[in-house]
Amino acid sequence: MASEKSSNAKTSHKFQRSGFSYEQLIRFFFASNAGLTIVILTLIIAFLLKEGLGFFPGYRRDLETYRIAGLEFVDISRNNLTSHEQLTSLLNRAYYAEVNGKSARELKRTEEASALYNAFTDQVGPTRDLIINNPQARTDANAGMKAALLGNYEKQREKALLKPINTPHLTAKEREGLLESLRTRPPEATEDPPLVAALAQEFVAAQQKHAAPLQEFRTVIDDFESAGFDLGSIIMEMTESVTVTKEQLQTADILEKDRKTLLAAASGEKDPVERERLLADARAALADKPDVETPMEALLERKPECARLHEALKTASSDALKKIPSRLSDPDARRLLGAARKAWPQFIADLEAAPKKISAWKHTDPVPLSDAILSFLTGKKWVTGGEWQDFYGILPLAVGSLMIAMIALSISIPVSISAAIYVNHFAKPREQALVKPVIEFIQAIPSVVLGFVGILVFGTILREISVMDAFQWVPGFPIEERLNIFTAGCLLALMSIPTIFSLAEDALNNVPSAYAEASEALGASHVQTAFRVMIPASFSGILAAILLGFGRVIGETMVVLLVAGNRIKIPDFSEGLGAFFQPSHTLTGIIAQELGEVPLGSVHYRALFVVGIVLFAVVLGINATAHHFVNRAKK
Amino acid sequence: MNDHQEKPMESRTSATAVDIRNLSFNYGSTQALKNIGLNLKRNEVTAFIGPSGCGKSTLLRCINRMNDEIAGTRITQGEILIDDINIYDRSVDVVKLRRQVGMVFQKSNPFPSSIYDNVAYGLRMRGERDSAVLDQSVQESLESAALWDEVKDRLQESALGLSGGQQQRLCIARTIAVKPTIVLMDEPCSALDPIATAKVEDLIWKLKHDYTFIIVTHNMHQAARVSDKTAFFYMGELVEFSDTSRMFSNPSVKKTEEYITGRFG
Ligand SMILES: Nc1ncnc2c1ncn2[C@@H]1O[C@H](COP(=O)(O)OP(=O)(O)OP(=O)(O)O)[C@@H](O)[C@H]1O
Ligand SMILES: [Mg+2]
Repeated sequence: MASEKSSNAKTSHKFQRSGFSYEQLIRFFFASNAGLTIVILTLIIAFLLKEGLGFFPGYRRDLETYRIAGLEFVDISRNNLTSHEQLTSLLNRAYYAEVNGKSARELKRTEEASALYNAFTDQVGPTRDLIINNPQARTDANAGMKAALLGNYEKQREKALLKPINTPHLTAKEREGLLESLRTRPPEATEDPPLVAALAQEFVAAQQKHAAPLQEFRTVIDDFESAGFDLGSIIMEMTESVTVTKEQLQTADILEKDRKTLLAAASGEKDPVERERLLADARAALADKPDVETPMEALLERKPECARLHEALKTASSDALKKIPSRLSDPDARRLLGAARKAWPQFIADLEAAPKKISAWKHTDPVPLSDAILSFLTGKKWVTGGEWQDFYGILPLAVGSLMIAMIALSISIPVSISAAIYVNHFAKPREQALVKPVIEFIQAIPSVVLGFVGILVFGTILREISVMDAFQWVPGFPIEERLNIFTAGCLLALMSIPTIFSLAEDALNNVPSAYAEASEALGASHVQTAFRVMIPASFSGILAAILLGFGRVIGETMVVLLVAGNRIKIPDFSEGLGAFFQPSHTLTGIIAQELGEVPLGSVHYRALFVVGIVLFAVVLGINATAHHFVNRAKK
Repeated sequence: MNDHQEKPMESRTSATAVDIRNLSFNYGSTQALKNIGLNLKRNEVTAFIGPSGCGKSTLLRCINRMNDEIAGTRITQGEILIDDINIYDRSVDVVKLRRQVGMVFQKSNPFPSSIYDNVAYGLRMRGERDSAVLDQSVQESLESAALWDEVKDRLQESALGLSGGQQQRLCIARTIAVKPTIVLMDEPCSALDPIATAKVEDLIWKLKHDYTFIIVTHNMHQAARVSDKTAFFYMGELVEFSDTSRMFSNPSVKKTEEYITGRFG
């Protein structure tokens, strides 16, 4: 353009610009690369939104079906039944904990004897199988073979009895007897060694003995359990009918979708013959509207009965609460019973509210889109691929992600910030040259490898520690699951340390050296200078470092997938901080785990995209905030 | 000011404040100071002059061990005594040393906090919490630094909002707030206009009865105006050290005369 204009003047002057220069070429290359990244980012966002936003209408329809078919109605009763089952299980566990606690010695003895016996059978088992099950050996067709097998059996037996496991609760005589019976045990013997059998009986006897005084408790539990039977059976009947309706509705939905696709194809088709064919197909796909009203009427007729059963269960439950023993002797039993007692009032309140809920429920209530959005954002259930009803509530995932991030940051912030301060302000050049690369090297460890270490080493060690007597004061100890929020948090702390460290160190480095000099010339010590001058002056930068570390932790996938335990449930906070030792799932983990298995375009598939959008928005928000602080630090 | 300068120097018979003996100093392998010997008297103002790169700042920073913070530096020979204590002895706590030997830098460097906090910083680092004591110290120091009237209504505002000259006087106030006995000043007026420079010089004259000043300057007039003694350095060596009046009227070394009269440097 420019050259054209100047060519009007015909004569070239001494500032004449030459045509398309090399410099312009380079410039264009750089510009196109920069532009490309922006285009790609835009495309990614557009793709996420396109795939994700279809989720809400789809989920709304799911919830509508859930209501129209009556599943929602059944769930009112079912939730209460589930609570009832949980309470029953707690009571039962308390009961057995009490009985077994009192028979602890007998339990140990039978366990030890069985363990020794099992170790023995594990060792000789394969050879024994060959001897017993070998048809040749049985018919004595090959005596040499049989002899060889028997010889081998003897060898295995010797090996097995070389170092039998410890049995501190058996007397020396009992132990010797057991070993002797194993030494002389013929390969074809099937019954347990006499001592193992005797100890099992001893245990049963002890159990019976200790169960006797608890007879009343047993009756209470049994009565309580059977009080739920009627409700259980009516739920079962209703379940059958509503699932049929639901299936019909879903089939109709699919047909309707097909029809719409065909119609769309037909309207786009130019060839009249072909179009006619498509239209005919579409007409054929026109589904009969499934009859939901008749089964619904039958369902609604059960309302009074359901309400009555709830009343009955409520009365039975209140009675049971009065009758359960006030005190048990075994600590485990006490804990379980306490948990049951704690849950009881809520259970009764739910039962009491149920009849009202049942009578107020209407299958014709509309399901607005906001319900789907609300159910996604505040839903406590993420249930997928079930036969009953899928729920996509993000809360358990978000809580898991957040709790893991809390653990990770509460470890990595102090560690990395103090390391940064040390390296920047205290370390000798030689230490700097060592520490900095080492910390930054952590970043180079592939997260899968870190996950391995987490499972095999860290999780195991944590569990070992958690059963030690010295650590029983820690809430949540002994832990039940090796893989839990805490384990994942610790590993993520390790992963976020380099991020926070590097950025915080940069921030400290950016503090003009004149500040530190001035402070030290005024007679402040190194530590005082660090805390009074360096940190305040680089505060924005350090905050940004922490935020970016947070972003990294929230966005990390592999480690949490491997180590967090992947249980989709909001941790139980009734144990206080012990909740951090429970397994959990995460926003990132769920996408990685489920995206490969869901059918393309399904509601579940789209739900995962929306989780992705949420994640993207959160990380974007964190980074933007961090950016804001970095800019402030630069000023 | 000139009448001050005319004062007979012989009348000061104070003890030695800083005694530098045969000092050699290295940055890594390059020697920056060669065998310097200087004896500075209490309550005198000494000016360090010399061409750029001759080692004035280096020597100044040796006196409160600010060079410790630079990696690879070391004293290769000699010692510095303050009140008869070798400050490079292993037993010396640099923090305590620096509380006695204050320093004002060539480039003003107030902290990015309020004016008040800047001046109170040193005392606070010493554990002073009593706000009455701090208030009084801040006011006195700012008054001595001839800054009080200009900032008394904005003590809580950021120090970075002050002009360059005000910032430099704030740094002086900050330094004298902790009551050192020796004040090192590295070209304190290089960024100041003549009026601000005059204020700083007045300040030095006003305070010299309580402090021992060492001031590095490239301004010969300033050296002549404010100092009692002058040391001339060249290429890391001390060329001449004598009373300022003598140095500027009748230098004994030819190099000094050439430098003072502006024939090189
Ligand atoms: N941090 C340092 N590392 C290495 N060499 C340095 C360092 N600081 C100063 N030097 C060298 O030491 C010598 C003396 O420097 P110094 O700063 O003391 O000079 P100066 O007399 O203060 O100069 P100016 O008047 O320009 O401030 C110079 O040659 C300089 O290059
Ligand atoms: Mg200098």
